[in-house]
Amino acid sequence: MPKQTEITQEKHTGEGRLGNEQDYRLLVESVKDYAILMLDPEGRVVTWNEGARRIKGYQPEEIIGQHFSIFYPKEDVESGKTEKELKTAASEGRFEDESWRVRKDGSRFWANVVVTALRDKDGNLRGFGKVTRDLTERKQAEEALAQKAAAEALARRAQEILDIATPVVQVWEGVILAPLIGSLDSQRTQQLMEKLLQGIVDSRSSVALVDITGVPMIDTQTARHLVEAIAAVRLLGADVILTGLRPTIAQTLVHLGIDLAGVNTRSSLAAGLRSAMELLDLQVTAKSDGARG
Amino acid sequence: MADERISVIKVRDILMVTMPADPDDPTVTALQEQALKAMERFEAKGLVLDISAVETLDSFFARTIVETARMIELMGGRTVIAGMRPSVAITATQLGFTLGNVMTALDVDRALDLLADAHQRRRRR
Repeated sequence: MPKQTEITQEKHTGEGRLGNEQDYRLLVESVKDYAILMLDPEGRVVTWNEGARRIKGYQPEEIIGQHFSIFYPKEDVESGKTEKELKTAASEGRFEDESWRVRKDGSRFWANVVVTALRDKDGNLRGFGKVTRDLTERKQAEEALAQKAAAEALARRAQEILDIATPVVQVWEGVILAPLIGSLDSQRTQQLMEKLLQGIVDSRSSVALVDITGVPMIDTQTARHLVEAIAAVRLLGADVILTGLRPTIAQTLVHLGIDLAGVNTRSSLAAGLRSAMELLDLQVTAKSDGARG
Repeated sequence: MADERISVIKVRDILMVTMPADPDDPTVTALQEQALKAMERFEAKGLVLDISAVETLDSFFARTIVETARMIELMGGRTVIAGMRPSVAITATQLGFTLGNVMTALDVDRALDLLADAHQRRRRR
């Protein structure tokens, strides 16, 4: 009697309900998103599923019997990483890793790998189960995000430097000062113009001192930018005094034939400030005789 | 009809005109005509053109301002452009518009100061 029931049960599961050994095989073989394979204790490929074929590119007949180190970049094989993985899996039962693997065509993919030791009832090592996922897209997305963040940080820093590099300060009632440091390209000139003009309007200043002591070199382009900025200031109804024209700068300007005609220029910032005072009809006088005025 | 958009106000011996935000060509033409008419009628000392509301300065407007200033000078007056916005000044400079020798001032107050003592430009406060 019991034998009969056994037979009927077997028949039943074989034909209808899922869950026998054959079905398990079917499941593993059909999974497409994961490479599921078995390795013998030495690390040679024993089984190969559809996911493994899709991810790694080998047909079952090409790969079965090969050592699994074929999936690793050369440097990992040389450093003994493949051996270490199997050892860890054997001793701890499991090994997980996320790193680059190599496809049949030589291209790399970012893989999440879990190696599980397969042992029989008596604890003898039968081999290893290996499940691999292709996370290249996720990895690329992460890297793109990181790159974007880095680029944004860089742009922010560049903007900060620009802001610091072009300060505009009020030095007296009616006088503002823009001390320029570093070379003047068109982007900086544009920013200088905006900040200078806004500063003039905000502080209601009628004289703007533009100090080029900190500008290492003046060329035709830079001079044109300066003349442009000065013209814009004049449209607003203020005057510009260009200061810091050291001997070398004066020489360069004349040799290059750059015309700053009509621009009020002074060699030093102090001289410029004095001349701004004159424009405003102000006078600095000493409190007592003998002190400098 | 464009004439209605421009009104020339006489304060003592000064003429004042405030330009609308976006003056079109007929408005700009009307500005010149009205200003010159008022000059003739009042024999004013000068014209203050307040452009603090103006958001865009085109070449026609810039040229008309320079021409009008010259015409007013011929009639014995001075012209001051007051209150140009920074953004307008930057655009104008980049496009190469200039206002020639027309005087400019930060605001109407200073424009009046300038006109009050046109020959001594230094006295600006």
